[in-house]
Amino acid sequence: MSNTFNNMVIYNGYPLSIVIAITFHSLVLAALLYLQTNNRIEALDLIQPTVIKALLIDENPQVRNEQILERQRLERIEDQRRQREEQARREQQQQEEQQRAEAERQRQERERSALLERQELERLQAEQLRREQEDRETEDQRQRELAAEQERQRQAAERDRQEQQVVAEAAAAEVARTEFELVQSATGLIQQVVQENWSRPPSARNGMRVLIKMSMLPTGEVIDVSITETSGDAAFDRAAETAVYRAAPFIELSVLPINIFNDNFRSLTLIFQPEDLLN
Amino acid sequence: MNNALSPVQLILNASLPVQIVFLILLLASVVSWVMIVQRWLVLSSANKGVLSFEQRFWSGIDLSQLYQEGTQMQKEQVQVVGLENIFRAGFKEFMRLRQQQSVDKEALMEGAQRAMRVAYSREEEKLDRNLAFLATVGSVSPYIGLFGTVIGIMEAFIGLANQAQATLQVVAPGIAEALFATAMGLFAAIPAVIAYNRYSASVDRITGAYITFSDEFSSILHRQVHTD
Repeated sequence: MSNTFNNMVIYNGYPLSIVIAITFHSLVLAALLYLQTNNRIEALDLIQPTVIKALLIDENPQVRNEQILERQRLERIEDQRRQREEQARREQQQQEEQQRAEAERQRQERERSALLERQELERLQAEQLRREQEDRETEDQRQRELAAEQERQRQAAERDRQEQQVVAEAAAAEVARTEFELVQSATGLIQQVVQENWSRPPSARNGMRVLIKMSMLPTGEVIDVSITETSGDAAFDRAAETAVYRAAPFIELSVLPINIFNDNFRSLTLIFQPEDLLN
Repeated sequence: MNNALSPVQLILNASLPVQIVFLILLLASVVSWVMIVQRWLVLSSANKGVLSFEQRFWSGIDLSQLYQEGTQMQKEQVQVVGLENIFRAGFKEFMRLRQQQSVDKEALMEGAQRAMRVAYSREEEKLDRNLAFLATVGSVSPYIGLFGTVIGIMEAFIGLANQAQATLQVVAPGIAEALFATAMGLFAAIPAVIAYNRYSASVDRITGAYITFSDEFSSILHRQVHTD
């Protein structure tokens, strides 16, 4: 009789069986993990993020406004510079003309005096010469004074204008700051709501881009949505359009001051551009 | 992120009911494998016991000497199993009854056969033990796995309902986790079913050998009784 088998079956073979069963399961688990680690290298490009983040790029009206303001300011400065140059040129011209006229007049005077001289003899010559000289001197002085006065006035006006400009700019910046915050929060809100309502079609691909122009009433109601730049995919365009309609109305906009609304939200362009799709 | 779909991560990320299902299935699998190995040891030793004892029995050895060898083995703390037990029970009963002069031949045969039947029942019970457990694991664990899968998929869809964007990536881990429960159920069930079928056939064969042997042995005893 085989003693080894008899010994194995002591306690009906349970200890050995337990050891074998547990070893077997451990091996299976180890094999599974091993295969998984090997697969992981191949599957690396298939790995997907669990969280899908829809990205909505908004053409910020505030930035646009700032750009416009900046452009206007530059234009103003340019204008002023041109005006100043123009004025300087005009003044110079005037002076030159005056000088020319003076010279002409003097020449005529001299001719006339020469004539008189010739007509009235030596007696008058000395006196006339003296009077002429006096006249010329007073005239010169008068002109110099006039020019100086004009220059002074011009400088004062320039200074005044500059001061006014600085004050106006500071005030505009102050207004723009509070406006900026309001616009920013309203824009963020619109962006968020639209994004929540945006369900992208299966045909959506990264880099697709559709520009949606929406017109709103001050109550936040959307009266018109139009596609200004299509992505080339009709379903994608439609999804963006639907997102805006679904998100409407933006009741929060009704609390904005009307001028801010008019400047920024009367007509708003949204860019829909997914950048996180996996395809 | 890289191994989000590895089995370990799946198990750890699963919800509590699904984890309980995993645990039940793992236990069922381990225990059924303990049974499989243990049954295998018992049945193969019984099989070998049948072959070796039949060889010894038909080798022309004197029956009382064979009985003495068995007694000797028991003294040496070696288990006596299978056919030898049946033989010993029948032979012991036969010798005992034969020593009592008052017992007639029919009663003698009947007593020996009854003793062998009792020993046979014991041996059969030893062989059959735990097979029912394997059958249970084989038939029930796919259902447990399916239950885990249903719960897991339900949770995946409930999670999906809260998502603004229903993408495959949102539900995929949940469904993979749920399907892993079914996989575990099948992993536990398949070996159990195979082992159950194989072992029950094996038990049938061995018990058939026992019955045949006890019939043969009782015919030998019968001859002995009637030749006296």
